[in-house]
Amino acid sequence: MSSDLDATARISPVPDRTPARGFLAGLWLIVTLELRQRVRGVAWYVLLGIFVLLVAAVTVLLWLSTAAWETGGGAVFSAVIFFVLLLGTLVSPALSGNAVNGDRDIGTLATTQVTLISTGQLILGKFVAAWITALAFLATAVPFLLFAVTLGQVSLSTIAVSVLVLAAELGVIAMLGVGLSGIVTRPLFSIVVTYLIVAALSVGTPIAFALLGTATKSEQTLMPPAGCDDPATTMDVPRFDRYWWVLAANPYVVVADASPGVFDPTGNPQDLFGWIAVGVRQAQVAPDLQGETPYCNSTGAYYGGDDDKRPTAREVYDSAVPSWFVGLGIHLALGAAALLWAWRRTITPSRRLPAGRRIA
Amino acid sequence: MESHAARGITVTGVRRSFGSVHAVRDATLTVPAGSVTALIGPNGAGKTTLLLMLASLLAPDTGTITIAGHDPVADPQAVRAAMGWMPDVLGSWPSLSVRASLEVTGRMYRMSRPAAAARADELIGLTGLEALADRPSRVLSRGQKQRLSLARALVHSPSVLLLDEPASGLDPAARVALRVLVRRLAGEGTAILVSSHVLSELDEMADAAVYLADGVTASAERVARAGASARSWRIRSLDPAALEDGLQTSGVAGTRTDHLGTLVQVDNEAAAADLLARLVGAGVRVSAFGPAVGDLEHTFLDLSRPESTGGAAA
Repeated sequence: MSSDLDATARISPVPDRTPARGFLAGLWLIVTLELRQRVRGVAWYVLLGIFVLLVAAVTVLLWLSTAAWETGGGAVFSAVIFFVLLLGTLVSPALSGNAVNGDRDIGTLATTQVTLISTGQLILGKFVAAWITALAFLATAVPFLLFAVTLGQVSLSTIAVSVLVLAAELGVIAMLGVGLSGIVTRPLFSIVVTYLIVAALSVGTPIAFALLGTATKSEQTLMPPAGCDDPATTMDVPRFDRYWWVLAANPYVVVADASPGVFDPTGNPQDLFGWIAVGVRQAQVAPDLQGETPYCNSTGAYYGGDDDKRPTAREVYDSAVPSWFVGLGIHLALGAAALLWAWRRTITPSRRLPAGRRIA
Repeated sequence: MESHAARGITVTGVRRSFGSVHAVRDATLTVPAGSVTALIGPNGAGKTTLLLMLASLLAPDTGTITIAGHDPVADPQAVRAAMGWMPDVLGSWPSLSVRASLEVTGRMYRMSRPAAAARADELIGLTGLEALADRPSRVLSRGQKQRLSLARALVHSPSVLLLDEPASGLDPAARVALRVLVRRLAGEGTAILVSSHVLSELDEMADAAVYLADGVTASAERVARAGASARSWRIRSLDPAALEDGLQTSGVAGTRTDHLGTLVQVDNEAAAADLLARLVGAGVRVSAFGPAVGDLEHTFLDLSRPESTGGAAA
């Protein structure tokens, strides 16, 4: 092993600086660098293997148990999609949540920043790499989804839409993880905060929706039917219709609502996703504050409770705003804001430097 | 104005604070193209902060910087294309090999893939990392990482080079090679600023020195005054007794003897030359005669003495 610097070697005078290779070339360089750095060997493949085993186990167990209920592939499919989303939300914050501040810790951030790589290329490159890493998990789950198709009841278009929306949701988590790693100084904290935000979206939104909806009440006045002498009755009704967007921001709701609704001839949804979608969209419907009771207590008569007049699940579904669109929009706005903030914080030469933060 | 200095580094009245900590308070220096300047100062004097500002990573609060004629705040891309920075923190992508690290760095400077590969090869040879070229950089020792860091700073053949503690962790042979390399790069027209604590080494490498204490660069007059102050010279003779006699007849004060020889206080180089002539004339067989400490160290110690700036930083 030579131990001295060979000073006699000739240094080439000027490197070949081909004309600007464009934003994308630099971006892709960061993506490949990130993938080579993070997807490192054995540990990564072990994790992927465990993931496949878990999805396989869940698929087989669901198949066996639903076969008993004779519901077929719809349930298997919905459950596998949710399971992939669950594991994805558990794995990707750990993979993306230290992208920027972890580099700062090992001293490779500043050495990248003194090159001609721009801050935008750096942040976006890290995001794309984190997303690709998460998509690898989704890709390994696709065979199990196709297996669900072979069980019947699930159309390929449902699969395609669900996989696309799932991919978008994993992208949102990657955005949040990379963004927070550029905002929060310490890697551990940024990973934890990413997990907390994912938990707030997954678990916090239904709780917030239920609490907000029931805490906000409106007075509903029910008039007696014509020809009845009952006094008008008033009651408080919860206003879930004002907070449906909170529920829409739940990633599970987004995935469920986005899959094309499949209904049977009586207008009822055919799979789990359909029921969730109808439930969420039902929340958009404002209560009728000037209603009419169908009963007349003084005469005991029942007026016209015509069930056909009530909207079917399908009609509710069709008449509402597609809530997945709103939910995904909220998610993308959150993710984009996180990336933008991280970009602002990482830009050099930096003017502001939080206490205790080393630049190199 | 495209003067000689404008192609190197100029720093005028630069100030940078972090909250209440004034890391750099008033730094002014010039490194002309084709020369090596040493940046010297006690720990915490603001050397690394100053280098980070020169490396286009930190913006100064006030003052102006030009690197190769460009302002790092207004046009960081132009500065980065011309500037190589070897940080004090040894950062390398742990799972990438030495060769891959250099290739990736080259491509970050928008070199084509073959050009980056060729340049990586060249630099591996230059820094003596051939045997480790295909090992992941996490297995490198501190000194080897230091060489990788130097190679990375040179990838795009910068015309301005910033070296933060380049010699730390290097073995003696590598230090010599580093010195030769730095001198050669300067000879090829590179402006080089080196920060280091190893003052004797900088003595042989640097054309000029900038002293930074408490975030303030010492003025040229102070440096001149410190350099001219009385200093110790070390004399060794084959016949210590004769040397003792000779010194006494010359009337030299402050004589002290240690294991390496006799230390005397001499006002300046002229007085030292006179003393040597007298001793030789008196028949004293002198085998060694020279300053006890290097020029930089002498000046540094004199400037660090807590007299004018109210105490040097710890």
